Amino acid sequence: MSGKAFLLVNYVPGTSPVHRAPLWLKFLVVVGCGMGSFLVVDWAVAAAVLGLMCALFLLSGAGPARLYKAVRPILPVLLAIGLFQWWQLGGPVAARIVLNVLVCVVAASILTATTPMQRLLDGVVSLAVPFRRFGADPERFALTIAIMLRSIPFIAGAYSEVRDSARARGLERNPRALVLPVFITTVAYARQTGDALAARGLGEPDDDDYPRQGDR
Amino acid sequence: MGGIRLDGVEVRVAVDGSPQPKTLLRGISLNLTERRIGVIGANGSGKSTLLRLLNGLVAPSVGTVTVDGDDTVRSVRAVRRKVGFVFTDPLSQLVMPTGREDVELSLRRSVRNTMERRLAAEAILNRFGLMPLADQSIYELSGGERQLMALAAVLAVEPAVLVLDEPSTLLDLRNRELLRRTISGLSQQIVMSTHDLELVRDMDRVLVVESGQVVFDGGAAAAVEHYRELSAAGLPPVSATVPPRRPEVR
Repeated sequence: MSGKAFLLVNYVPGTSPVHRAPLWLKFLVVVGCGMGSFLVVDWAVAAAVLGLMCALFLLSGAGPARLYKAVRPILPVLLAIGLFQWWQLGGPVAARIVLNVLVCVVAASILTATTPMQRLLDGVVSLAVPFRRFGADPERFALTIAIMLRSIPFIAGAYSEVRDSARARGLERNPRALVLPVFITTVAYARQTGDALAARGLGEPDDDDYPRQGDR
Repeated sequence: MGGIRLDGVEVRVAVDGSPQPKTLLRGISLNLTERRIGVIGANGSGKSTLLRLLNGLVAPSVGTVTVDGDDTVRSVRAVRRKVGFVFTDPLSQLVMPTGREDVELSLRRSVRNTMERRLAAEAILNRFGLMPLADQSIYELSGGERQLMALAAVLAVEPAVLVLDEPSTLLDLRNRELLRRTISGLSQQIVMSTHDLELVRDMDRVLVVESGQVVFDGGAAAAVEHYRELSAAGLPPVSATVPPRRPEVR
């Protein structure tokens, strides 16, 4: 499975100010961009925020190639959405919607490019701790998010391989030949991942008799 | 380490549309104490089910499986701390985007301090010569590198037993040799299923599984010979596999 088409950028080691920024601030920027996409009504503001996010991304040292790689997979979709909205609601609205989606993708990529996954997981665990009183397991919550992030490229890769296979058999116009194999592959992958997690004892509730070093 | 014991084990699974369950394994009683144990047999013979019993991924329908005295059903968490499991396809095993992160994930429960965890992960990656690949996406690694990364992630928690389910199936010759060398250098007790008969020759004891039963249990050379005879006996006669020649049309 190739699975290389992934929206978010993997961690790029570095010591830039963006890398050194506290995790809560980066979370806040991502959440702010998400909320802002509903509140910002002026395309010029959205364009300015996108410029700022791109500047922050480049400041991190992750490079323009990774920035392009992060947004490339959604460009065809955004083009289709943009054209439809332009036809329906006019140019400014279409520009605002497209720019806001790009802002969210770039902001999320800044977070993943400048924060090691383990720190991200620690952050999610900290955020989920208050929910422990309702029976939530913060470690399991963080693991779920990690697996979700990890599964996106796999499913994208599965789709790409199934599409090639359908093309080779002259079935590229048959939706069943595309959707069913991807669905079956994804379910099989989910089962294998479940087995692998169980075999490694990951996602099980914390127990006190587990030998630990360096408890904080 | 008290070894792995299987007493009168049978594994049955329900089959859709059939009132009768399907028997995957039957009459398995073994005491596995050797350092290197191989499991060979045809596809669908029950090798993977046998291996999955050892880590508690499959529960016996009848009988018991114990690892160092711990029952794989009643004390499954204790068993999984002792028994690491490496799957055929490392992509379904590696959960995180990079190898370093996956090794760190293995260590999350045992090493709570972030910096100590990072150093421990680096030590493991260095041990396997994987440090230069630590921050690469797992999708950018070769099959052999991925399999070694999966092995490193499992060994990070220092299990006493390592179970490998056809680890070389997806590997080319070079990566297979690399894996063989890595496995032979490990201190853990190894239980490995494989179709690679060269890999089996390094084993102290080899089980041949056929139709859900262990039909041979002994030394590597004799087991391979038995398996070859068994496989040859199951083949159709040559005349049945070659289509009849068409008559020439003039």
